[in-house]
Amino acid sequence: MEELILELKKEIIDVLNLEGMTPADIDENAPLFGEGLGLDSIDALELIVLMEKNYGIKLANANEGKEIFKSVRVMAEYIQEHRTK
Amino acid sequence: MDRIVVTGTGIITSLGAGKVETLRKLRAGERAIGPIRHVQTKHAELPVGEVPYSDEQLKELLHYRSSETITRTSLLGRVAMREALDEAELLTDHGERVVFISGNTVGGMEKSEQYYHDFLTNNDRNEYIALHDCGACTDIMAKEFGGRFDIITTISTACSSAANAIILGANLIKEGRADVAVVGGTECLSKFHINGFNTLMILDKEPCRPFDANRHGLNLGEGAAYLVIESEAHAARRGAKAICALSGYGNACDAFHQTATSPNGEGAFIAMSKALADSGLRPEDIDYINAHGTGTGNNDECEGIAMMRVFGEKVPPVSSTKCYTGHTTSAAGGVESVISILALVHHFIPANLGYKDQIEGHTFTPVDHVVENVELKHILTNSFGFGGNDSSCIFSALDTDNKSVVVMSDNRCYVQSAAQISMQQPLSEAWFEDPIVPTQAFNETIEPNYSPYIAPMAARRMGKLLKRAVATAVNALGAHGMPEAIITGTGLGCIDNTEKFLTSMLDNDEEFLHPTYFMQSTHNTISSQVALHLKCHGYNCTYSHRGTSFDSSLYDALVQMRLGLIRSALVGGQEEMTPAYFDMLGKIGYWKQGAVDTETLRRAEQGGAISGSCSLNMLLETNCDADTLCAVDGMDMLYEPDVEALGATADRLLQRAGLAKEDISAVVMGLSGDCDNDRVYRSFARHYCPQTPIIWYKHIFGESFCASAFGIYVGAVTLHRNLVPAHLLYNRKDNLCNPTHILVYNHFHDKDHSLILLSK
Repeated sequence: MEELILELKKEIIDVLNLEGMTPADIDENAPLFGEGLGLDSIDALELIVLMEKNYGIKLANANEGKEIFKSVRVMAEYIQEHRTK
Repeated sequence: MDRIVVTGTGIITSLGAGKVETLRKLRAGERAIGPIRHVQTKHAELPVGEVPYSDEQLKELLHYRSSETITRTSLLGRVAMREALDEAELLTDHGERVVFISGNTVGGMEKSEQYYHDFLTNNDRNEYIALHDCGACTDIMAKEFGGRFDIITTISTACSSAANAIILGANLIKEGRADVAVVGGTECLSKFHINGFNTLMILDKEPCRPFDANRHGLNLGEGAAYLVIESEAHAARRGAKAICALSGYGNACDAFHQTATSPNGEGAFIAMSKALADSGLRPEDIDYINAHGTGTGNNDECEGIAMMRVFGEKVPPVSSTKCYTGHTTSAAGGVESVISILALVHHFIPANLGYKDQIEGHTFTPVDHVVENVELKHILTNSFGFGGNDSSCIFSALDTDNKSVVVMSDNRCYVQSAAQISMQQPLSEAWFEDPIVPTQAFNETIEPNYSPYIAPMAARRMGKLLKRAVATAVNALGAHGMPEAIITGTGLGCIDNTEKFLTSMLDNDEEFLHPTYFMQSTHNTISSQVALHLKCHGYNCTYSHRGTSFDSSLYDALVQMRLGLIRSALVGGQEEMTPAYFDMLGKIGYWKQGAVDTETLRRAEQGGAISGSCSLNMLLETNCDADTLCAVDGMDMLYEPDVEALGATADRLLQRAGLAKEDISAVVMGLSGDCDNDRVYRSFARHYCPQTPIIWYKHIFGESFCASAFGIYVGAVTLHRNLVPAHLLYNRKDNLCNPTHILVYNHFHDKDHSLILLSK
């Protein structure tokens, strides 16, 4: 799990173009949206693409992302459970 | 002045070609949303509002040869435009000054996405390269009507493009520049924007249900619609029958988010309020609202809240007609204006099909069935675009009493400041003393350090051009207050991100696409990003009309200042160049080959210029201070004028400023080293002012669709510094001291021309 969390952090930094950030700067238990990292609806869509492309998880509705993207840890747990690649 | 009336309308959508068919289906409550047929995409699950004619059938309808090189956007536009001009009895020329303003975003993308591989690897489809941009689409449409038009331009504010075209047209009539304006928009479906909207996850797999609690997004549509507008007196003079009045309009920016609407619908609220104020009507006078109503969760909720803020407990009957046609994006403002006018004239309210349950928090419900025999005096129609480009228009029955009050302002207008990022030292005037002299056709942009202007989190989604635009905006604004308008010219928009989206769509078989790239491919993302950064809710517009994109923006600002609508405006020109697009344009003769030097450019013996990016923002105000760069004493734009007409226009500008030709210290011209381009400039100089020193600038800033912005910039800076350095002088070798009045002349392909008079 910790390995997946680190991998995810790297991917998030890359796909969201969070310049100057390192995985250590992201608290895996902090919210990704609003407070915490402060991401928005477009970032959520980018994370949906990331999950589909890298882990084969397809979300039908953007609203499903709200629960999954609560934190990096929640996201990693979801991926662990649902990944197809 | 007397009010503005509509004397012609034309429309084509999935409902069919022309008003008769449109009206019949609207009244029958017949949706025209179905499976996609003409666009080759794997997204067959997404229903669309497709025009029921193939390109071939549209050509037949227009009596064109099937081999004609033309994009679908232009074909649709021509069908609608012809109907509008025909009804207004304008197909033959009686000497009216007619302007043509068209809204468009897709441009030639529907062909580019099919031929992109050819563009990159062979010469089979080169004729479509020049048709890619939005302005080309307008240009082709204008061509059918010969020398009919006085000015043509293209507005690209995504889904409010056509509404903003209506607004500019009306302003040009009020200001006295035009007798008649042909205004509206056109858009065809493309694989590019079907996939783009799909990445935003806002496309419904069922026919859309605007304002329904269980709505699931929008259906894309395609179509075109144009209105012919003119003053009531002008229509009466030429015996044209008025259909209704355009009694008010408003444009505002939500300045909240690149795609989402603010929770309280601020931009929509301001746009509707401005339109009401402009018309002199009270909220209770509005009998029907043709809503933007896309069917997305966000739009319908927030538009509803904005309507409740404007109209209180008595929201008038509302419907969104996108349930009939799909969302025709750039054409929507025109399509829904024509539908509103049909409703007004035929006394019915089109249904908001598919509605079942009220949205939580809304106090109104939309009209869910067609209502006949209803007297409609005033109709408000909304058009909102990505980036919060929100506009509203009000159409009124002729037997209502509403006079437009126009109080012309005789305030002078000044260029207060300007900032540039280009191949020269960024955010600096180092080019004035010590220019970087390019030695090849492709030139890299020198990027400044953006961190003083843009926070890292805000920068995460910004492509280079967006960063440049924001940095030049903040720099130009300096300590000045919030501008009342932000107007941006960009021929191609963020072409880098457009290419990224297009390439990955083609390479990955329409999978794993990034919404960020799509979002930034809409041209108005630049102007709205600047507004977002400054939190500016004022007028916001984007012009994408090839080599006069910046000129159109400046003209819009000046016209609004003369009409007393604004006192300040941030006017920008934003263009970037990618290696791939550079190569494509190179194939059709845009660039010089091999090593380049200034003398080769000056001689202009062959075709081709050198390329340069352009990011420039300038602040215009109606008052001046010690740091003011110069005054703008006049401007005009012309479409396909001869050299006599250009001279007469220059004379008129000088006359109005109380000047004579001899008072011009220098003329700034866009000489680029391309023989065809430069011939036009030389001919004007020879004809009009053979002895006047010529300033050029493309030898150090390069050529791009927005390069003309540098012409005005260079003119302003030299006036401010009391000196034209020798390196900027085309036809003399020593410095020119104490310039007092400078004429700036720009043209694109000898079609679109502009003249601007700058004074110390």
